[in-house]
Amino acid sequence: MTISLSLHTQPDVPLEAELISPDKLAGLTTAEIEKQTVEHGNQKTTIADFFTVAGEKSDSLVLEGDLSKIKHIGSGMSFGKININGDVGAHLGTAMSGGEIVVEGNVGDWLAPEMLAGRVEVKGNAGHMVGSAYRGSPAGILGGEIIIHGNARNEVGHAMRNGMIVIGGDSGDFTGVNMLAGTIIVLGELGIRTGAGLRRGSVVCMKNSKLLPTFSYSCVYQPTYLRLYLLYLQSLGLGIREEQIMGHYERWCGDIIEFNRGEILLYHE
Amino acid sequence: MSENIKIVKNATCTFCGCVCDDMELTVDLDKKQIIKAKNACVLGRAWFAEHTIQEGPVALIDGKESKLEDAIEEAAQTLTKAKFPITYGLSDTTCEAQRQAVAITDFIRGTIDTTTSVCHGPSGLAFQGVGESTMTLGEVKNRADFVMYWGGNPAESHPRHFTRYSVTPKGMFTPNGKKDRTVVLVDVRRTASTPVADIFLQVKPGKDFELAWAMRALVKGHTVDASIEEETGISLEVLTDLVERMKNCNYGVLFMGMGLTMTRGRHFNSGAIMALATDLNEFTHFVAKPVRGHGNVTGADNVVSWQTGYPFGVNFSKGYPRFNPGEFTTVDTLSRGDADAALIIASDPAANFPQAAINHLHKIPVVSFDTKETATSQLAHVAFRTSTYGINTGGTAYRMDDVPITLRPAFESPFPSDEEILTALKKRVHELVIAKSRSQGAGTAKVAAPIR
Ligand code: SF4
Repeated sequence: MTISLSLHTQPDVPLEAELISPDKLAGLTTAEIEKQTVEHGNQKTTIADFFTVAGEKSDSLVLEGDLSKIKHIGSGMSFGKININGDVGAHLGTAMSGGEIVVEGNVGDWLAPEMLAGRVEVKGNAGHMVGSAYRGSPAGILGGEIIIHGNARNEVGHAMRNGMIVIGGDSGDFTGVNMLAGTIIVLGELGIRTGAGLRRGSVVCMKNSKLLPTFSYSCVYQPTYLRLYLLYLQSLGLGIREEQIMGHYERWCGDIIEFNRGEILLYHE
Repeated sequence: MSENIKIVKNATCTFCGCVCDDMELTVDLDKKQIIKAKNACVLGRAWFAEHTIQEGPVALIDGKESKLEDAIEEAAQTLTKAKFPITYGLSDTTCEAQRQAVAITDFIRGTIDTTTSVCHGPSGLAFQGVGESTMTLGEVKNRADFVMYWGGNPAESHPRHFTRYSVTPKGMFTPNGKKDRTVVLVDVRRTASTPVADIFLQVKPGKDFELAWAMRALVKGHTVDASIEEETGISLEVLTDLVERMKNCNYGVLFMGMGLTMTRGRHFNSGAIMALATDLNEFTHFVAKPVRGHGNVTGADNVVSWQTGYPFGVNFSKGYPRFNPGEFTTVDTLSRGDADAALIIASDPAANFPQAAINHLHKIPVVSFDTKETATSQLAHVAFRTSTYGINTGGTAYRMDDVPITLRPAFESPFPSDEEILTALKKRVHELVIAKSRSQGAGTAKVAAPIR
């Protein structure tokens, strides 16, 4: 049994829908769900104004339609599952602490900022600030995993403190900027200035990349822990080659301006 | 020359962020024209000369002349009906007017943003992330013996910055003016400012962050590879020497230009400079400051911060302020097609925004305030013509170092000030919002009592 929400009217200004999350809807009947408020710009409206609701009392939500103008879906969710068949807007899964979100399309900026635990998988591309800290906040995600099959834009994992972010395609500039700990794996190309202000943690990339002058080369080795990560990613259908799993990686230390305890691993062909 | 001449002493030029307050204006009251602006630079002279009174209607609705009251009513109706109204501009008006604009945005639960978001907004972001070691320009004049400009051309954009505040003036601890200072310029090309510099670093385009980052490493005593020359165009030797000078000066200042904030890396570029100033405070006193462009853009930051807690890109749709540049900044709300009405004050986005944003402006009702006809006022649903701040109306403007300066107007204009119309608009908007919430019955949005 699932609760399904399919978009029948496209909002003309951004729609804020924190409420679309198992935490809020799981115990409700269809009629109750229809009456829940969502904010259309500065006006309060109901879910039924935009969605056709089917099903009730379930911790599994299925959303249909082009939701790219709908923000804050799954904010603070702690259990259950949201499947989104289409594109979705900004702030998906903000500060979620459990459960799973799977998106078949693309997502907007600020995907799962400051998440604590749980899982987000995106089959398309993501915008800026994947798993980042909000402006003015000291730390980004504290745990959980974010898997993007396509590309992501700037500031992936900004100030992340733990957890894992994987980008199947290319990532933008400042990947892992001000990162405190955790792991970022990029299978495509990195943008510029990766790991600026990196304190600890690992950024792994399968392509070569020009790093900042504050990173220093340390060695080429075969990191054992990486095999576990890569085998797991392979099982998710991400394009990992056998030679990458057993492969050699260049290890660069930095950022020397901070503690120099972080590492960037670049696959060594 | 007519007989009816007035001299205004200590008037203020509000053209650029220097906000020079030592103007001596000679005004021909018959012709309503400033005929001489002593002490002004070339940009200031042009600013004073071009602001004469041109006849025209005070308000237009869809291009047709209308009574002021009708236009205010129409503007209030338009803004209160909108679901995602945005307020933008504000840098070329007084703080008093800016304050009214914030109140209006709050009442209509809109989004307020200023031209800061397209100039030094990234520095504002960096300031929040990195912190800022700051000063007033008076301190620079009296104390600074090391002055560095990064990514700007003040000789052409802020002509009196060098002479009034930072390079040539003689101060308490800089009795010999320029001789007591080391002036360094970092830019991607030689400009009219270059001859002022004792040291000129021509950095490769797009490599400012790398250069600043390498300097931070050197300041912290780490080694930097000689390949930095190939990357940034500046040799390690030059950099090491520069860093030594910085560490050994008595009072150093880093001025940031838009070459940092409007190129790839944006807030991280200015953040790197602010962090460099912080690092240097281990050794000596160092400060960093953006060189702000428009006359009162600094006032806009101050007023919006004072009233909402955040400097720009603030949204009220939930009834309380939320800050998120990239989401609530005007280029983004327009380009994405989010906004459904716009209140544009003293700015011309229809002339200088990206095409996607301009296209959206054409689709939504716009209420514009300007002293002259602009591309924005032409497409506006309701366009108000107002008097020029600093020339026809008094009030307060902030200099780029956050010092408030009182304006001394030169002559009267037949047009009302931004503040007058905005105050009337605020009153009407407030009435409409109250009426709307009453009609929706008890328990819906509470509206705060009107503020003065
Ligand atoms: S430097 Fe700026 S404020 Fe001063 S006179 Fe010139 S234009 Fe006006």
